[in-house]
Amino acid sequence: MATEVLQQDAQAPARAATLYHIENPEVENKAERFLNAFAAVLHFTDYKALLDSYCASSAKCGRCVASCQVYQVSRDPRDIPCYRSNLLLDVYRRHFTVGGWLKAHIGGGWSLTDALVDEMADIFYRCTACRRCTLECPLGIDHGLITRLGRYILSMAGIAPKALQVSVREQLEGETRNTSKLPEPALVDTLEFLAEEMAESLGVKLEFPLDQPDRDYGFFCAVSDYLMEPDTLMGNAAVLYAAGDWDRWTIGSRNFDAINYGLFYSDWHLERIIKRLVGEAKRLRAGTLLIGECGHASRSACQFVPVFAGQDELPVKSFIEYTLECIEDERIHLDPDIVTEKVTYHDPCNIARSGWIVEQPRRILRSFVKDFVEMTPHGRTNYCCGGGGGLVSMDETHEWRMKVAGRVKAEQIRATEAEIVVAPCANCKKQLKELVDYHELPCRVMGLHDLVLRAIDIPGGKSARQRQDEAALAATA
Amino acid sequence: MPTFTHGEVSIDVDEDGFMSEPDKWNETVAAAIATTEGVEGLTEEHWKVVNYLRDYYLKFGVAPMIRKLCKETGFKLNKIYELFPSGPAKGACKVAGLPKPTGCV
Repeated sequence: MATEVLQQDAQAPARAATLYHIENPEVENKAERFLNAFAAVLHFTDYKALLDSYCASSAKCGRCVASCQVYQVSRDPRDIPCYRSNLLLDVYRRHFTVGGWLKAHIGGGWSLTDALVDEMADIFYRCTACRRCTLECPLGIDHGLITRLGRYILSMAGIAPKALQVSVREQLEGETRNTSKLPEPALVDTLEFLAEEMAESLGVKLEFPLDQPDRDYGFFCAVSDYLMEPDTLMGNAAVLYAAGDWDRWTIGSRNFDAINYGLFYSDWHLERIIKRLVGEAKRLRAGTLLIGECGHASRSACQFVPVFAGQDELPVKSFIEYTLECIEDERIHLDPDIVTEKVTYHDPCNIARSGWIVEQPRRILRSFVKDFVEMTPHGRTNYCCGGGGGLVSMDETHEWRMKVAGRVKAEQIRATEAEIVVAPCANCKKQLKELVDYHELPCRVMGLHDLVLRAIDIPGGKSARQRQDEAALAATA
Repeated sequence: MPTFTHGEVSIDVDEDGFMSEPDKWNETVAAAIATTEGVEGLTEEHWKVVNYLRDYYLKFGVAPMIRKLCKETGFKLNKIYELFPSGPAKGACKVAGLPKPTGCV
């Protein structure tokens, strides 16, 4: 059935425009390049066993339609997760199995065309890689993994979103070694600015530790935090200071970006970015990788440092886990009378459904937020923000993310009647802030540590109550 | 590569209208790009933001943290959105001739 659909699509005269910019759109001999890339991936990786297993089951039952928030809105059959997976499985069956080869040579078969490669390039990026469909598949097919494999092969054939490629190239080959091209002097200037802000608001004079060797924690956040999220960073710093750990952490000047877009489209880049991260920790002789608020960065570090770091492996901890430990060990105090707004929590897919962080942020929030409300559903069955899988960094996908991929999320947030949506992820925050504007939702989006920053008492500095009183006074003045 | 033309100004831009060669920026170019950002006529307040961004970019090679932009110009974030409807990163930085921000920005 799927083969017939593929052939029809190949003959279709008009094709919906690809959602994203491709750096070199005029790649020639796409089908040949795709098959060569596919062959190389099968030769050098373990994906063959996985594809054989998936081909032996099915990818056509369609149970996954109920779980996909893209399909729920678009109603486009191309957005059904198993339809998408079957595109790649069909190419595998035809070109990389004996049965497929025989069938093609006896007659009635088909061969991969450039048009089918274009079709895959469209469809594999109409998915937020949230992996919610894996909850439904009765055969245990991981459609998110197949989508990533499809994107990986496409990228090896020269087809990948420009936004991801440009960022990763700068991170691995550029002078700044980070995805936002933030040079070291700008990092230093930003850290000085944050220290001034903290001195003003929290009443403590601090210097951010840069390149300090032999510290317990090497801190890596999404580099975009240094441009966009001062309260998240100051919240992180406030916890470290209040817990008495100010002399136990450091930022590295040679690599301070935890973003790993390889997770979204290329195992080859994923591995190299992980090795860069570990290399910086090793240079600093840091004990543990402490990863800031970011879903995919936390997941890629936690799950792939053990895979790729070899003998340089070191423990990985999410900042959320660190803060919860500080609260439960009573090393920091959060004032429960400061945050009185209704607060809800958005689970980033990469650390909830695909990870290990579901209860920890809720325990943090419940320890100081009076009015906490859950979304429905939440936790491992949460809906994606609608910008996952790297889509949020492609501005050109904005309208689609607002109208299609993020619509279910927008309705879900509205239903909570929350005033504050907490999302501990750079990707999710950007998408959710855009959703709030676009759908005119009556709430604000912030990081988890932005809220912690409001409630934390600073030993030797100002208490949360004192800061709140001062702010109230300033507002009436 | 697309070319953006407005009056006497003709510059190479990327798909989103950001300058491909930021060193070709001048005040006339800024005024021309501003027309694509829903800004008709740059006021003194616009120039305050643009000049700060431009100076910071020339010194550090990147845009400043948005909080720092607000603090140094004395404009709150919603005021910056009033001046540049697509916001500081996409609107104001484009007018100031900065390259398109990359990564999760």
